[in-house]
Amino acid sequence: MIYQQIDNNTIIMIILFAILLIITVISEFRKRSRLVEYVTRELVECSICKYSYEEEYEPGDFISMIKGTCPKCGKGVLKIRAIYSVEKK
Amino acid sequence: MMIWSFDLKFKLRMIKRMIDEDSRRIEGFLKNINVESPSLLINRIANYFVIEPVSIEPIDIIKRYDHLIRTYDTSIRRIVQEYAGNVNHYTRSLLESSLSIYGVLNQIYRILRHYIIICERENNYPLMQYLVFIMPQILRIINTYHKALDSFLSGKPIGDGAGPLVALKLIEMGEVVSKKIVDETAVVEVRVKDRRIFVVKAEGPGSNVGKPGNVLSRLVDELSGNVDLIITIDAALRLEGERSGELAEGVGAAIGDPGPEKIAIERAASKYNIPLKAVIIKMSLEEALTTMKKELYEACERTVEFLWRIINESTHANSTIIVAGIGNSMGIPQ
Repeated sequence: MIYQQIDNNTIIMIILFAILLIITVISEFRKRSRLVEYVTRELVECSICKYSYEEEYEPGDFISMIKGTCPKCGKGVLKIRAIYSVEKK
Repeated sequence: MMIWSFDLKFKLRMIKRMIDEDSRRIEGFLKNINVESPSLLINRIANYFVIEPVSIEPIDIIKRYDHLIRTYDTSIRRIVQEYAGNVNHYTRSLLESSLSIYGVLNQIYRILRHYIIICERENNYPLMQYLVFIMPQILRIINTYHKALDSFLSGKPIGDGAGPLVALKLIEMGEVVSKKIVDETAVVEVRVKDRRIFVVKAEGPGSNVGKPGNVLSRLVDELSGNVDLIITIDAALRLEGERSGELAEGVGAAIGDPGPEKIAIERAASKYNIPLKAVIIKMSLEEALTTMKKELYEACERTVEFLWRIINESTHANSTIIVAGIGNSMGIPQ
């Protein structure tokens, strides 16, 4: 019988190999689950009162682009101060 | 060898799927701007190549390199114009960059496929083993370019735009005296805190890197060398273990072009004995090519303060300074 020809060392080797395989597969899955998604936001700021808020990025927007008049002071213009990506929550 | 071959082919198919997806996205973009035969344009640009100049004879190699780069840029622009017609400058620049990204991906795919076929045909297992080992690195690069396409198709500022962003912040700090565009590069003269500063950056907000070296060199000549300091600011690839957004200063021209722009800055500085300093903002390749992360934006704000410290330490009131923000100006005007 074939199992009678397998000595203890071979069995240990097979078990170690199986453990190694399982660890590799688990670590690979863990790596994949760490992948983070990003969303692009823009920081809009009033040129006078410095009132600011963050909003979703719209294609075609660029830094320093004027987005309208400030709703708070009514005098300053709202400009895009920054466009950046942040982690999706 | 069979397992290796299976693994490589599986990854090659994965790359092919990414490339096909990118091709479809560019096709969609082209259809939106009423291009009749998008696939013809995509295939033509994807197979476009540049033959490097002869380096065994180094005399005038920079001139030849510069000529080839300019010819390449002009040719790509003409081809895009021929297919896309009268699209505006901004859209055309995004399209050119997106097609270049697709070209890079396609080139990597074709080279990989070539080697895998050779390995199988000739039973070359050492080469196949080498391919298996470097595959994760190649996949990382492919993934980076694949992700970058989204930013280029929508015009979002990328990490490589750190230099132009610092330049823009400097322009906004002072009073603009004059502004001109030469060779798709903006030269803005500003007065900031008793200093006369010429800010050089690629023309934005389109996707463009401009010709900052050549323009800076001409500017120094126009000023007859009366410049007290030249500072270049650029994004630089960080080493593993370093933090993204870390700043570092040094001496020399911080610019990652094949040569012509960098040498133009070095020659202009050494011709008139002008101190040439550099500030770099560290980031990974992925961060440099994809939408600028918030940490990098904050690093740009810190860079402006850091830049002022260098200017205060190295120059006095009424000095003339040239600050060059090197990188892609996508989403960053002047």
